[in-house]
Amino acid sequence: MTSATWTATTDQGRLVGAARYWSLVRELSITNFKLKYTGSALGYIWSLVKPLAYFGVLYVIFVQLFHQTQDDFGLQLLLAVVIFNFFIECTSAGLGSIAGNGNLIRKATFPLSALVIATSVTALFTFLINMALVMVVALVAGKLRFGWQMLAVPPLFVELYLLSLGVGMILASVFVFFRDIGHVWEVVSQLLIYVCGVVFPAKRVISTHVTLPFHTTLAQIYFANPIAQTIEDLRHALITPAAAWSVSITGAALFLTALALAVGCFVCGLALFRRLAPFFAESL
Amino acid sequence: MTSAVSVRNVTKRFRIPMDRSTTLKYRMTHPISTARYRELLAVDDVSFEVPEGQFLGIIGSNGSGKSTLLKILAGIYRATSGSVALKGAVSPFLELGVGFNPELTARENVLVNGAILGLSRPELQRRMEGILHFAELEKFADQKLKNFSSGMQVRLAFTVAIQADAAILLMDEVLAVGDTRFQAKCFEVFARYKREGKTVVLVTHDLSGVDMHCDRAILLDHGRIVTAGDASDVTATYRRRSGEEAGQDAAESVAGDAGSDMAPSRFGTGAVHFRQVAVEGGTGEGVPHFETGSPLRIHLELEARDPVDDLVVGFSIHRTDGTWLSGTNTQLERKRLPGLGAGERLCLTYSVDRLSLLDGVWRVDAAAVSSSTGATYEWVHRAAHFSVTDVIGRSGMVELGGTWEPAAPAKRHSGDRE
Repeated sequence: MTSATWTATTDQGRLVGAARYWSLVRELSITNFKLKYTGSALGYIWSLVKPLAYFGVLYVIFVQLFHQTQDDFGLQLLLAVVIFNFFIECTSAGLGSIAGNGNLIRKATFPLSALVIATSVTALFTFLINMALVMVVALVAGKLRFGWQMLAVPPLFVELYLLSLGVGMILASVFVFFRDIGHVWEVVSQLLIYVCGVVFPAKRVISTHVTLPFHTTLAQIYFANPIAQTIEDLRHALITPAAAWSVSITGAALFLTALALAVGCFVCGLALFRRLAPFFAESL
Repeated sequence: MTSAVSVRNVTKRFRIPMDRSTTLKYRMTHPISTARYRELLAVDDVSFEVPEGQFLGIIGSNGSGKSTLLKILAGIYRATSGSVALKGAVSPFLELGVGFNPELTARENVLVNGAILGLSRPELQRRMEGILHFAELEKFADQKLKNFSSGMQVRLAFTVAIQADAAILLMDEVLAVGDTRFQAKCFEVFARYKREGKTVVLVTHDLSGVDMHCDRAILLDHGRIVTAGDASDVTATYRRRSGEEAGQDAAESVAGDAGSDMAPSRFGTGAVHFRQVAVEGGTGEGVPHFETGSPLRIHLELEARDPVDDLVVGFSIHRTDGTWLSGTNTQLERKRLPGLGAGERLCLTYSVDRLSLLDGVWRVDAAAVSSSTGATYEWVHRAAHFSVTDVIGRSGMVELGGTWEPAAPAKRHSGDRE
């Protein structure tokens, strides 16, 4: 039908297909990043200050007040905050990325998924800056674990990114039709920080030995959550052996469940988005 | 000739929810109720073809479905039924400046919008100076768009939009941008598109723009094609239709409010009384409607209350803003009127074979005065109204009735040197 739009014949300077798509994503994400910090005195510094401030609050409560100091929990907490922050930023920015661009969507033709992907790339950019900060802090503290286990970091990042983008796409699509999702997601974000083991070491969950029906333990359910799983695995890969590989705690089946959930979210998000995208313009 | 755009039996229905069922609460509490919708038929079984290299204008009143149709062509809306086939790349922007962000500078906006157009960053940087020059914004390149005047924004928007090297351009109200000088540049761009054989589909309210640029046009009303054909024929049909509507609107405002400033008022000695002042030969109810060039009669009926033998009758025509357009009377035109006894009546008709007035609602004042004393027997202010439409769209208040002929070049003035 109108797919001709994206199969343009090219002369020099004109992009087609994937190159066109990625240049669009790049420009949109650069714009997002600029707009996010424009007009503020500290500018881009805020992308570092915000997670640090959040970390500060949690540190005072969970490390100082509750005395969770074993196994460098402060550093574990910082890492978890950065990872969790990425997930929240990516999903909540993704949520509004379609509904917030109604005017553009109703009056221009371009691949709408670029809008969601651009917000995720912006979040990823902030995440990588924050991760660099965590590495520096860990290095200065002498706690950065060099070794083969570090090879697990890139695949874990990919898993986290696919999960966040997938959830972002689902939220972006559904938000166009049901605006309540915005409020629901705010509450869910608040709850997730406890469910994902940001503020306590997974050991606590493992040692409770709560047995649920069907002979699964709380720990197994806990690690089926891909966010909790990536947080714990990244803790193991970067900071401390005290945080074990999640697969060694729950077994391959549940590890694969977490992995499948992450990839599943991505595939479902993509499919849902593609299915609903033709109806965005008239619903906005 | 092959068709660049072909539209077959396209229908678009919008379902507009009767109640706000887009909250989860409603869904939860009414899990099985099917939401009620009002159906709006925005585009109704529309078919047309645009051959490669042609300019098509889509005109119609607000809500006639022309923008919806354009969005279906662009693939922004999905047609409920029917098919659209486009041959070649389509420009992404339907309107000017939709991708602009007020918080970004002119340069940054060019980069983002250029990416939507599908241009690479190096290519955009290569074109940047040319773009800023064309938009006349070289000095403001690094200022945020929110500090731009609307004229500056629209110049930049137009300049960015024409960077699309698409074969098919879909445009919604992009004519009439900027000041007169910038418009000349826009017209050059249109002329260039024509030379390059681009296909343009234009949605607009600017009928003279359609006359000027488009080869063909279609007129939509309530989602259906009323007429399609040569641009000037279609705009003439549209002017005729909308002129009648305007006349009826004027009629309503006269009839609807007797105390309004369109109600007649009288003054004078009252020795002669206007029983009727009517403009005849028009169409429509209430205020009669005319087309420029059609015949018109002003019918005056007077009754003498006292005997008069020095009667002069005249009328004047004014624009609704008060501009005095024309006036005449029987004395000026050497027409002697008979003396009237008390209670006697007199009917007069002033006939115009070809009305030379152009678009507008026109007011008639009538007067009966004494030729000997100059006393006003009666002056009827706002005695009648009529509306006029010029279907070929000439501008101003009157047409002069002249003709165009090819002519030999004028002789060189004797004072000129070689």
